[in-house]
Amino acid sequence: MNKKMLRKSAHHIFLLILLALSGCSIGQAVQPWEKESLARPEMTFEGDQLDTRYTEHIYSSKEGASGGAGVGGGGCGCN
Amino acid sequence: MTSVSTTRSTILGTTLLAAALSLPSLQSAYADAAPERGVVSLKYLDYQDSQSVLGNSITDTVSGASSGGSSLSSGYGSQDRIGVHAGSVMALIPVAGVWSVGTTYTSDSVSGASPTYHSSGLTTMKDLRRAVDVQLTRYFSRGRLSLGTGYSSESDYISRVLSLEGSVDTVDKNTRFTLGGSLNDDSINPVSKPTIDEKKEIVSGLIGVTKVMTKQDIIQFNLGYSNGSGYFTDPYKSEDNRPRHRNSMTALARWNHHFDDNGTDGTARLSYRYYLDTFGIRAHTLDAEYVQPLRNGWAVTPLLRLYTQNEADFYLAVSAAEKLDPTRQRVHAAADIYYTEDQRLSAFGALTLGLKVSKQLNQDWLVDVKYERYEQRSEWSVSSGDDKGIAPFSARSIQVGLSRAL
Repeated sequence: MNKKMLRKSAHHIFLLILLALSGCSIGQAVQPWEKESLARPEMTFEGDQLDTRYTEHIYSSKEGASGGAGVGGGGCGCN
Repeated sequence: MTSVSTTRSTILGTTLLAAALSLPSLQSAYADAAPERGVVSLKYLDYQDSQSVLGNSITDTVSGASSGGSSLSSGYGSQDRIGVHAGSVMALIPVAGVWSVGTTYTSDSVSGASPTYHSSGLTTMKDLRRAVDVQLTRYFSRGRLSLGTGYSSESDYISRVLSLEGSVDTVDKNTRFTLGGSLNDDSINPVSKPTIDEKKEIVSGLIGVTKVMTKQDIIQFNLGYSNGSGYFTDPYKSEDNRPRHRNSMTALARWNHHFDDNGTDGTARLSYRYYLDTFGIRAHTLDAEYVQPLRNGWAVTPLLRLYTQNEADFYLAVSAAEKLDPTRQRVHAAADIYYTEDQRLSAFGALTLGLKVSKQLNQDWLVDVKYERYEQRSEWSVSSGDDKGIAPFSARSIQVGLSRAL
């Protein structure tokens, strides 16, 4: 896979996301006092951070793919 | 009529006011204001992986202890490979109402046997990795800015990372835009090859949108790009020479749904990631977990993960001769510029099943235990290029955590 293909795929996915988001905007906005369920820890995307770190570290050292959720993870010379 | 409508609007007004007054606690939890309380967490990991030994690969140079086999890989013998014991401590401290400082320290002891090509040619290894990172975050009424740095050290590998991430919320706080970037600067000095003194630099960027869809649904899309240059070859593998550039892209979609209506009070968490890179690897990852709160602070979370990837463009599959006799390692053709026999760059699929049990002891203390079982097989790849010569690989991990709000 060359850089051109990579860029093209990135472009397509970005357009898809824009399309999805514009479609999602239809509907009634959720009001602040309706956010009780959304405030639960399991409804956030962060989750258990130490758990996530271990899990991502294991997968990135045993599989070809990695990343996607955030920036700033450290590298390793994993065996 | 006028008085009735006035009364109605007064009632409505009072209801809204009451709702608004009860708001801060809810809003601060969702809107990511500076944390009101700090938290300290400890977590311990015990990890062990193993690989099936195909009937004719008894000539491997080092044999690990038998793991007793696994139910998923019956029909083969199974040998332990790499084991990891890791401990982490994390602290998050709020400062002056609008700042927070977070730090994590991890110590990682790794030992066992690792293949030098495909799933054969084992060599033993032992290493200790120590990593520390710090994040400083400033919270604003409609957003936040985070600066992070990290350092990780092994006997043969040092990694330094610097990151910056910012996010902005819309006025109704139902949509959040996130932009982040990071810079990795790694040094590689393999113990067994002192002549190698190499570097690897990776610049990454991420753009994301998080959106509240309904009072029970929240979704997120992230798009990541990473540009890496330097030494990507694995110095401990034989027949391994990889390009000095590796650019990758990820698209991640996540969806959390809370079941308010059916009385279960559970939360489903789904995510899908697409990955592609200039090595030619394309991978799909699907994650699903369900958090079910029970009585007295208990919660159980079963989880499932499905993964598949195709092989790198320069991956050399097990040859017919090597299949018969694993000591007869395949040698790259003279015309090959890049080549690898690393099973992690072959085509395979993987399945993880797990269960997490947690208990909120009181307002301050939380304990949790998690067990996961992982299985990787070449025939589970959705691509056609699966390498039948690679033996099934499996792992199990146990995590134990303790957390205290300050």
